[in-house]
Amino acid sequence: MKPNRLWPVLLLATSATSLAASLDVKPIAFTERQLANGLQVLAIENHASPTVSVQVWYHVGSKDDPAGRSGFAHLFEHLMFKSTQNLKPEQFDRLTEDVGGSNNAFTAPDVTAYHEVVPSNHLQTILWAEAERMSNLKIDEPNFKSERAVVQEEYRQRVLASPYGRLFNGIDPAAYQVHPYKRPGIGSIEDLDAASVADVVAFHKTYYRPDNATLVVAGDFEPKQLQAWIDQYFSRIKRPVEAIPQVTVQEPVWASDRHVQLTGPQVPLPAIAIVWQAPPVSNSDAPALKVAAAILSAGDSSRLNQALVYRGQMASQTGFEADLRKGTGLLTAYAMAASGKTLSDIGKVLEEQVKALASKTVSQAELDKVKTTLLTQALVERQTPLGQASALADAAVQLGDAKQFNSALAALQKVTATDVQRVMKRYVASAHKVSVSYTQEPKAQESVKKEAAQ
Amino acid sequence: MKRLTTNVLALATAWCVAGPVCAQAGASVFDTPPPAAAPRPLNIGAASEQRLPNGLRVLVAQRRGLPLVTAQLVLLSGAEQDPEKQAGLASLTNSLLVRGTAKRTASSLAVAAEALGGSLESTAAWDQAQLGITVTTPKLSQALALLSEAARTPAFANDEIDRLKSEVLDAMKVEQAQPGNLAGLAAQRAAFGAGAYGHPINGTLASLPRIKRDDIVAAHQRIYRPDNAVLVFAGDVDSKQAFKLAQQHFATWQPTKTAPKINLAAMPVNGASSWPDGVLVLNMPGAGQAGVAVAMPAPPSHAAQRHIAQVTNAILGDGYSSRLNQEIRIKRGLSYGARSRWDARRQAGLVRVSVQTKNPSAAEVVALIDEQLNSLMTTPVPEPELAARKTSLIGGFGRSVETTRGLAEQVTELAVAGLPQLDLTQRIERLGGVSAADVQAYSASTFKSKQRRVVVAGVAGDFESALKAAGNPVVVVDANGFDLESGKAPQP
Repeated sequence: MKPNRLWPVLLLATSATSLAASLDVKPIAFTERQLANGLQVLAIENHASPTVSVQVWYHVGSKDDPAGRSGFAHLFEHLMFKSTQNLKPEQFDRLTEDVGGSNNAFTAPDVTAYHEVVPSNHLQTILWAEAERMSNLKIDEPNFKSERAVVQEEYRQRVLASPYGRLFNGIDPAAYQVHPYKRPGIGSIEDLDAASVADVVAFHKTYYRPDNATLVVAGDFEPKQLQAWIDQYFSRIKRPVEAIPQVTVQEPVWASDRHVQLTGPQVPLPAIAIVWQAPPVSNSDAPALKVAAAILSAGDSSRLNQALVYRGQMASQTGFEADLRKGTGLLTAYAMAASGKTLSDIGKVLEEQVKALASKTVSQAELDKVKTTLLTQALVERQTPLGQASALADAAVQLGDAKQFNSALAALQKVTATDVQRVMKRYVASAHKVSVSYTQEPKAQESVKKEAAQ
Repeated sequence: MKRLTTNVLALATAWCVAGPVCAQAGASVFDTPPPAAAPRPLNIGAASEQRLPNGLRVLVAQRRGLPLVTAQLVLLSGAEQDPEKQAGLASLTNSLLVRGTAKRTASSLAVAAEALGGSLESTAAWDQAQLGITVTTPKLSQALALLSEAARTPAFANDEIDRLKSEVLDAMKVEQAQPGNLAGLAAQRAAFGAGAYGHPINGTLASLPRIKRDDIVAAHQRIYRPDNAVLVFAGDVDSKQAFKLAQQHFATWQPTKTAPKINLAAMPVNGASSWPDGVLVLNMPGAGQAGVAVAMPAPPSHAAQRHIAQVTNAILGDGYSSRLNQEIRIKRGLSYGARSRWDARRQAGLVRVSVQTKNPSAAEVVALIDEQLNSLMTTPVPEPELAARKTSLIGGFGRSVETTRGLAEQVTELAVAGLPQLDLTQRIERLGGVSAADVQAYSASTFKSKQRRVVVAGVAGDFESALKAAGNPVVVVDANGFDLESGKAPQP
């Protein structure tokens, strides 16, 4: 095995008073170019293990679901593993799993990502296969129907059978007023039933094109050979003349507080979520919001866990997420009640804790703690070709600049206590919120009532 | 997401499977997949080891390149030690290690660990309990100091015990509201009856309130001793440095003198002969899906057939292209994912199939699982399928050691099973040597229909009659009323 010189290295200052300040991450080298047809190509050479990750991120997501077809971008993602002109259904699995690799994909509000890891001697095959499904997807009716049924089971599993599935699936529809982010990415059984093979053909033609995609390769490859293969398989794919449709709707600034009540048939303990609007992921306030989220919810020592679960003993779980998107995102605080506790008490403490970051400056020690945690988490992710390629793709596609793969970590380390307070004032303390409660619906069965009374 | 579980990262192996990958002569270069190049070798070394004078075994698996280390202290006893009526004792004891020490409160311990960039992770399982942390290399010594403090000087304060019990009870309510989880727990109970390995690791709603501080203190004295522990390092640390750190932080660790005579034998695995054949239905009104679980006792973790057990499980239900997922998800669209798992334990393993499906499909899924188990017992696996699943399994093994945490887990697994560390270097060859005849013989002895314990949790009215129509004896009980604790078969 060749020694790898591209890993980030931590430099430790000899007499550091501030832990986080003593950590310095060396950038990971990568290359970037664009093919004539518009395809963005990024690569990280890394010979730590004889594997390579290939990823294609299409700049299309659930927000682009056609009208009346919520969940379509995600259903489409599943269909990309079916047949093409030159690949049989599931042949992608033969080319990955059966040779010792893996594959998967995910659909987010703004992006759909496909990723594989294979032993590095299979790199050429996978590049061919990704080019093939970018240009030659061919779905028949039986495969379409059986995969649609799988996605409907995924809906049942994630939303209906999961104890808090209805709550988390209900947050976007409750929060957004006009932006297509308001439609759940998993869709609904009815909208999925309404989808057709014709929709699949149209969606592929509209969005799955080289000028709407980013190809990332990380791991054990020879750079000249890699680029030659990319030229060979991807350059021949034509850039369509039609413009790529873009969502231009802007979510207005919310003018008042709102409350939404959700119920479910099997709610073990009631729960509450409170959401505020967040700026786009590329906004310069994003790093400070990520640090704020970590102060509130990273680890047992985080503020929400200490206040609601540990000290208050009013919640069984709690968290805070900076769900940043290309458009308006959400800052989501949530908590599940502890047995016997009521949502009104929990909601009050939850909101107080989040707003405390706006009213009082965080200490240097607490700031250093979360920065060290965030940095360590980033290193843990970047141990593997898959993690490196994912982080690079995320920077290029979501943040809009591949260089942020390295600079975003530095930006997190530069966040000050004043920055945290300023962004929490702006996006939380002086803004309107939407609260969503989730409780048990009245139970119909007599036997269940009897059990509960015992 | 396409897959139910994201098992990412791959690695090269000595395996090259021909087949659909190979290009055919005459076609355009764009019409057929190009062939693979020559594979590059994967080198996995065995961990170095040393024993401290107090009996603590230290294992070091070095992985250079990235300044990260995972350190975990592993106790070689877990939930199988739980006394009758005290299910959850091992888990509660281990979780309490991070809830305050002689010197620090729970909160200040959490702050101290998280300021190092990691967090103290406490996990109890079968045959083991762990306390681990992943940090950057410069923080390793401080992290070990915390591991040592937490494992050796827990406070076990009464208010912390009460608080943790309430948290675990609430988590249990949430866990058991998911039909797949509940079915899996019940199937495990059914497979082992009242024996060790039958109860939920975290305990039950009835058992936790019975556990008192004295029980916890006694369990700690009995189990948390250097001669019953292994300290594992994986990542950017060499063995010399690691042994020195182990010495520095753990050399003074001695078992408590007043500890009762050590008896670390688990409760016997006495099987579940009292459980009737057929399907146990746990009725969950309003459940969004049915959870189907089938469980069978299997050879233990150290058994000579362990590689066969792994390959058989890969064919049956580990991975997207396994038979269960092919039949239930890919061909019929009945589930988001059908899986099986060989859970290796020291006295007896457990094969457990789990599927969630819409309530009206539950009986069909039960029949499909039976069919796949029967087929493995009666028909040899075709050679290309066997080769593909072995290669897939080996690739997954290689990916697992690409992270410090994954590498630490592989080392730990061998130590807990009582297997030599050299096994890691022989794994690829051993898995590769498994034949179709091996798989069939193993399946024939493990998957016998009278050994299968079938549980379906969901809306009983949607599938009860279909199960009966298929000839299954069916017992229906209310999910809330089902007793996970006793190990006794439920009466209709």
